[in-house]
Amino acid sequence: MSDTANTNLKTGESHVKAVQERFPGAVLNTAWSAEDQVVIDVVPSKAPELIEHLYYERYGWLSVVVGNDERPLNGHYAVYYVLSMEGEDPSYCTVRVQVPADTCEFYSVTPKVPAVVWGEREVQDMFGLKALGITDNRNLVLPDDWPAGLYPLRKDSMDYRYRPEPVSDVENYEFLSETGDRETTVIPMGPLHITSDEPGHFRLFVEGEDIIDADYRMFYVHRGMEKCAESRMNYDTVPFLAERICGICGFAHSVAYVATIERAQGIEVPPRAQYIRSILLETERLHSHLLNLGLVCHFSGFDTGFHHMFRVREKSMDLAEMLTGARKTYGVNLIGGVRRDILAEQKLATLKFLDELRTEAGYLVEELLSTPNFIKRAKGVGILDKKIARDYSPVGPTVRGSGFARDARWCHPYDGYKHLNRSAFTQDTCDVLGRTLVRVDEFMDSLTMISELLENAPAGPILNESWTYEPHRYAVSATEAPRGEDLHWAMIGDNQKCYRWRAKASTYSNWPPLRYMFRGNTISDAAMIVGSIDPCYSCTERVAIVDIKSKTQQVLSRQQLEDYSRNRKHSPLEKRGTRYL
Amino acid sequence: MILIILACLQAILLVAAAPLVSGSARWMRAKFQTRKGPPILQDYYDISKLFKRQDLHTKDSSFVHRLMPPLFIGVMMLIFMGIPVVTRFSPIPLLGDVILIIYLMVLPRLFFALSAIDTGSSYAGVGGIRELLIGVLVEPAMLLALFVTILATGTTNVGEMGMMVGSFAAVNPVAVALAGVAFACACYMELGKLPYDLAEAEQELQEGPLSEYSGPSLAYCKIALYMKQIVVVSLLVAIFIPFGSATELTVPAMALGLVLYLAKVVVIFFICTIFENVVARVRFKLFGHQTWTVVGIAALALVFFVLGI
Repeated sequence: MSDTANTNLKTGESHVKAVQERFPGAVLNTAWSAEDQVVIDVVPSKAPELIEHLYYERYGWLSVVVGNDERPLNGHYAVYYVLSMEGEDPSYCTVRVQVPADTCEFYSVTPKVPAVVWGEREVQDMFGLKALGITDNRNLVLPDDWPAGLYPLRKDSMDYRYRPEPVSDVENYEFLSETGDRETTVIPMGPLHITSDEPGHFRLFVEGEDIIDADYRMFYVHRGMEKCAESRMNYDTVPFLAERICGICGFAHSVAYVATIERAQGIEVPPRAQYIRSILLETERLHSHLLNLGLVCHFSGFDTGFHHMFRVREKSMDLAEMLTGARKTYGVNLIGGVRRDILAEQKLATLKFLDELRTEAGYLVEELLSTPNFIKRAKGVGILDKKIARDYSPVGPTVRGSGFARDARWCHPYDGYKHLNRSAFTQDTCDVLGRTLVRVDEFMDSLTMISELLENAPAGPILNESWTYEPHRYAVSATEAPRGEDLHWAMIGDNQKCYRWRAKASTYSNWPPLRYMFRGNTISDAAMIVGSIDPCYSCTERVAIVDIKSKTQQVLSRQQLEDYSRNRKHSPLEKRGTRYL
Repeated sequence: MILIILACLQAILLVAAAPLVSGSARWMRAKFQTRKGPPILQDYYDISKLFKRQDLHTKDSSFVHRLMPPLFIGVMMLIFMGIPVVTRFSPIPLLGDVILIIYLMVLPRLFFALSAIDTGSSYAGVGGIRELLIGVLVEPAMLLALFVTILATGTTNVGEMGMMVGSFAAVNPVAVALAGVAFACACYMELGKLPYDLAEAEQELQEGPLSEYSGPSLAYCKIALYMKQIVVVSLLVAIFIPFGSATELTVPAMALGLVLYLAKVVVIFFICTIFENVVARVRFKLFGHQTWTVVGIAALALVFFVLGI
């Protein structure tokens, strides 16, 4: 960890000083893992108050909670609370709590700062650490039929290929509701969400048409990427896994991952590569925002708009294909730079694409906003109250639609954004309409930004390969994906692998406050509300077939389904006489 | 005797033509969305396929769920037998009574909603309740508009009302014209097209009451819903735009009446399809506001009638 002795205050040092003054003796150690990233080691019992202080009084927002099994390094577990300080002295402030390996207990921060609830639940699932005082003890990531006592991310627990037998045959997740003494009906949505056709199990507790409360279960298809990266992949191949986290914001993930390594190792990325990264990040924003604008049409029953948005979106996919060689901006990033330059004729073609997109999308947006009933469907629906937003640290257009100018591009400028002078777009209406309008503004701004970046990109190399590998250094890095901040935390080990890699997709931060956005709306708004956070899940569930006549139930195993979908022969249901598949 | 044959022909043609109407609407919808879209006859293929499938009903459902599809089709055929289509007068005058028609239309709606609640499925249940609410909100507007026309023409028979309107013999032409507008709006809401397809809203309720139907029952439901669209439009044509239909039973007059009827229906469905494709679905809670506007127009027609213009 860098210990350059500066006479002036380092970035983030004001926060350390404030904490030391407020909580004497709580800070055990302070270190800088990268230039703008301070790590504060604290006394475990003081952590909740200390984080509360940083969060609420020094304008911090929660970025991610990272658990780490550091027993091979120092004999303990550790939990890192990464806070993005966005007020004075913008920086990343990481609070590190050491968890003893014998008790595995630490004090939950959730009662003080609700935003960490998912992070702490995940640490409980993955490491078996016990958060004392956490109110919600249900599984978050692990399936409900996962064997007790098997904690996947402990270094000594299991091989990444191991698939334990389910311990229970039925879904026993308990859905919580705060409906008071009102009599409600349960409307189940999922495990496959009805309109976005993705896996997520929602329970709406309704009274007539009004939603009183809602709860949901996610992570049906946790892919175990972190475990896979730690045990199988080399640290320099992880960017290609990271971009496959998401089919939409893949490039944002790979930039975020490579930047953690670059920051921790102090690698200088050539300016041209930085510009190229920003250009491609914005290209990704173009097609993602058009996707969401299309979906908002679909959810409101305006399918004509949906199809036209997708027609125009194809243009942005063509742009991506021309710049990167594939419709998705995959396979471009390397640690230290990028693999592909943008040539002069590609620059000209890009500018032409941008002009077309500007006219066509502008026309469509105007059309959408003047469509009868659309404004009425979006205005005042799915209110994300400012207080809730502050408590739960949502990201992206979701939080910007509630008036907070949180945007990693401008709060913690990185890559080409350092050279652009801008601030985030916000709307004060806190509803679906606000979030949609933020996306419209950002889309138009992305077009301008791409042409500015193209004009100003300096000539020069695009990859820096001369650096030395130093194990066990870590850093965080955030990119502003179209849906919000993607945050990666990576520590590389002494074996050319990631010792611990934590990737947080943008939607992860947006799920917890969703419950509050449902309340007080009607069933007809539910799809609009889920759609307005632009959620991102990933696929497939086991299938159960019930035969009504014989009243028997047959559950197909994953293996049977996999075999059948590979070979298309010997359907597991064939002998039942009716063709289902 | 000829009239009874005509009435039967009408009913059979209604069943046969229903998928064509919806198929054309689907085709046009695809054009709006810059898609190639299915062939116009696609709904015939869909329905014939559904007839080959298994007919499943939920365990908890009673006879209502099984009875609804044939009942819906039967009632629609019955109503259509009494509506003047090619002719100016009602083929079976007994069935041409407008009050009877309105009540007959309530019957399948009630069963539609009941069968939805009967399934025990929460989506279908919500859809069924919505369907009832739509009925409660739209029918007053429809009835009020018809009430004005009945007063102005002095009859409750659809054929005779059309006769009076077609020969401009009604005492209060302005009131009747305005009632026609109100009735047309109410008819559009009754069609179950966007933005008013609340009971079956795909993105909200997964086809609502239809979600628990399958195979032949689903095919019956689909045909019946398309038939309902034709019946509602034909009712509007018969009362308020009867111009050109045959006043006597001669071949040339009937042929002209048929051609003109088809032309009118095609134009109306064309307009409806355009409208359907440029709007977003109305928010369920605000639906009442829009029906009140229609009731307002109908009330205005009544005021004009009282004033004698």
